[in-house]
Amino acid sequence: MQKYANPTRFYALSGKVLPWLAAATLLAFAVGLYLALVKAPQDYQQGETVRIMFVHVPAAWMAMFCYSTIALASAIGLVWRHPLADVAAKCAAPIGASFTFLALVTGSLWGKPMWGTWWVWDARLTSVFVLFLLYLGYMAIWQAIEEPLRAARVAAIVALVGFVNVPIIKFSVDWWNSLHQPASVLRMDGPAIHMDLLAPLLVMGLAYTLLFFTLHLIAIRSEITRRRIRVIELAEVQG
Amino acid sequence: MDFSAPHAGFVIASYLVTFIVLLGLVLATWLRQRRAREQLKTLEERGSRRRRRAGKDGDSA
Amino acid sequence: MKIFLALIARDLTLAIRQGGGVGMALGFFLAVMVLLPLGIGPDLKLLQRIAPGALWITLLLSVLLSADRIFQPDDDDGSLELFSLGLMPMELVALAKAIAHWITTGLPLAIAAPALGVLLNLDSSLFLPLLAAMGLGSMALSLLATIGAAVTVGLKRGGLIVSLLILPLYVPVLIFGVAATAGQNAMPGVFGSSLLILLAIALACLVLAPAASAALLRAHMK
Repeated sequence: MQKYANPTRFYALSGKVLPWLAAATLLAFAVGLYLALVKAPQDYQQGETVRIMFVHVPAAWMAMFCYSTIALASAIGLVWRHPLADVAAKCAAPIGASFTFLALVTGSLWGKPMWGTWWVWDARLTSVFVLFLLYLGYMAIWQAIEEPLRAARVAAIVALVGFVNVPIIKFSVDWWNSLHQPASVLRMDGPAIHMDLLAPLLVMGLAYTLLFFTLHLIAIRSEITRRRIRVIELAEVQG
Repeated sequence: MDFSAPHAGFVIASYLVTFIVLLGLVLATWLRQRRAREQLKTLEERGSRRRRRAGKDGDSA
Repeated sequence: MKIFLALIARDLTLAIRQGGGVGMALGFFLAVMVLLPLGIGPDLKLLQRIAPGALWITLLLSVLLSADRIFQPDDDDGSLELFSLGLMPMELVALAKAIAHWITTGLPLAIAAPALGVLLNLDSSLFLPLLAAMGLGSMALSLLATIGAAVTVGLKRGGLIVSLLILPLYVPVLIFGVAATAGQNAMPGVFGSSLLILLAIALACLVLAPAASAALLRAHMK
């Protein structure tokens, strides 16, 4: 990991990886969308609306994945002071927030035809909504604190506190009431979804993940560039 | 996909909003990086120009 | 230990002298209890059903509103820097401030809640559960409030961020607090289990909140 600690080296390396990553992302989306919209059959219960699952579930997965990334990067930044850790955390937030927003909206659009309501306060949906608030709060901290080092530390602590809170909220709302479908993909005895519906879901999941990595990499490079600009501008003012 | 099926509108809306948000995200991220790169280039050119000029006049920064 | 108690005593004295703390929180609580029936309508049965939730939400908001009182005045007059110079670890400073905040804000509100609940036609059998749950829950609320206060100390427009950060942390306390207050009627045994969970949350906050607040304060003062 130390090898990538140098921002310049990271910038050069990421520049080589990026085109491949972007190409893979496009390919995954192409295949995924084809499977989702053309190949996948109608669900015998939900009809066409089952296709919403292919954009909703990956978005929800990414919402959690991005926040976990932020928490991990924050922990690394706090403990080992890895110079790019704070940057990685900061850059993942807008991407994760967008995925969370999508999860909420598509979830609503899926819920209305399925259950008849736009919104339900069950454990899953409530946790995702709170997750959205956590993202907003996290991004607000970076905006509000001007000193970059202090902003990084405060944001990191906030991210970790929030990360601990999400499962607690899920547990408490679960405890209180639940309406959502039980998790039907990651199970010890195999997925409960039929193969025809599982394949598009997994491919779309892969596409979303690749998209995150691509955008994350670009955003980190962008941040490195911006910090370089700041250094030069400061030098100009002084010299 | 059967576009005449009941609730097809919800499916279209979902994919549409997904497309718009993700496209917006991609554009925003990429344009930010481009603007930063251009700004950096301008600054570095300015710096090297100043250094060349300083070298010619014989005085040091 | 002596310094710890002295800090609490100091905060209590300041709060009483300045008069801001208890009075304002109680006033806010009262105002909401008056506005709710006016907004929702005088249907007593409906009010009775929402009373536990409404009381808890108002407690949350009252504690939240007073959060910036925890560290800001000390930061303004330099006391916070003095504290950080090492007489006592920052974790204990944060804990002392949380306890003082609880005594001056959370606890009085918890005690007043059953009386104010009468305005919402709260079922009298719920008075004791409400008292117990709020007494315990308000401790957690004050502890969590110190985290938010530590994040925004020194920020000018910190108010909105505090709410955005703390309210998600308050959700479990709210859920188990309301369950402890009113759940017994729905399902026997709920009071006991919810109260135990509230206790667990309060104990966890007792350890984690001062640690997080101290880390945040140190980041602020570096």
